Amino acid sequence: MTTATGQRYWEDVADGEELAGYELRLTWTKMVQQVSGSQDFYPVHHDPGFAREAGHSDIFYNTSFTQAALSRLLTDWVGPAGWVRRLGFQMRKMNMPDDRLQVKGVVTGKAEGDGPLGEVSIDLWIENDRVGITTPAEATVLLPRRG
Amino acid sequence: MPRAVEGKYDIEVVRREWIGKATDARRGRYPVEHDPIRRYCHMVEDRNPLFLDPEFAAGTEYGAVIAPLGMVGYFAGNGAWPPLEERNLLAEVPTRGVRLINMNTDWEYLKPVRVGDRLTTQTVLTDIFEKPIRLDPKAVWIVTENRITNQDGELVAVGRNTLLTHRTPEAVAADAAGMEGARA
Repeated sequence: MTTATGQRYWEDVADGEELAGYELRLTWTKMVQQVSGSQDFYPVHHDPGFAREAGHSDIFYNTSFTQAALSRLLTDWVGPAGWVRRLGFQMRKMNMPDDRLQVKGVVTGKAEGDGPLGEVSIDLWIENDRVGITTPAEATVLLPRRG
Repeated sequence: MPRAVEGKYDIEVVRREWIGKATDARRGRYPVEHDPIRRYCHMVEDRNPLFLDPEFAAGTEYGAVIAPLGMVGYFAGNGAWPPLEERNLLAEVPTRGVRLINMNTDWEYLKPVRVGDRLTTQTVLTDIFEKPIRLDPKAVWIVTENRITNQDGELVAVGRNTLLTHRTPEAVAADAAGMEGARA
C-alpha cells in the first residue's frame, strides 16, 4: 500500500504488525523548518548558546515537531478514510542537531469499536542514533471495515 | 515563560490557589489556512494529500483539505506576531525557576478541522506538583487541558499537556548552598 493515499481496512490488520516507518535527518535546515512550521520561537529550540546556558548540551527539537513526526506515521498508515482518535507521547530524551531519527510503530491490539469504524491500538516511538528511543507514544486509530 | 517567585515557595499554597483556574474561551486570530499547513508538513516531510492537495481532498469524505492533527492548537491561537495582550495561565503560575521543558502530551481528536474553519480554545490548569529532575531537585510540573471547538461550537479536540519548570544551574547551586531567595 502506498502511504497516505491507499486505504487500509480493519480486517486486514494483525496484532504485532509493524507500521512502515520513516527517517528524518536533523540538519540545520531541518531546524529552521522546525521553527517555520511550528512558529515556536523559544530559543532553546534554535539557539545553541541559550540551550547550553540552560543546562542542555545543545538545542533540542520542540513538541510541535515531535507531535507532527508521530502523527505523520499514523495518518500515512490509516489512509484517507481512517482517523487518528488519540495520540499520547512522552518526551523522555531529546532529539538534537545531527541526529538521525527513525519513526516506528507496531500494532498492539484491535477492538470492534462502537461505530462503523474498527479500533486499532498502536505503540509508536521516535528513536535516534545517539540515545535510542527518545519519545515513546501510544495511539488509538479507527479504520473502515471492508464492505 | 513561567513566573519565578522570590523568597519562600510553598507548593501546597500554589496548588490550592491555582488548580482549576481557566482562561476565557479565545478564538484563533485567523481561519484554518493552506499555507501554514504546508509549512507544518514541510518540517516532517509529510506529503499527505489530505493536508496538501485541495483537488484530492475534495474527492474524499472530508470534501476539503483538513488540518494535520497537531495543528488544531496552532489555528486556535494567535501566533507569535504581532503580540496580543491575552491571558497566559502558564505565565502566571508561580514556579521556582523560569526554564521550561514540555514533557507529556496527550490529544483526543474528535472531529476533522477543515480549511476555513474558525477554532476557539480554552485552557484549564488541572494539576501542579513538585518532582525532581536531573537539572533541578525541586522542579515544578504543571498540567493543563486545552479544549478546542469549531465555529459551530462542536468540540473538535482535547489536549492534556505536562510542562516542567526548573531553575538555572546557578540558582540550584545557590539553593543547595543555603542562600535565601535563590530563584530563577
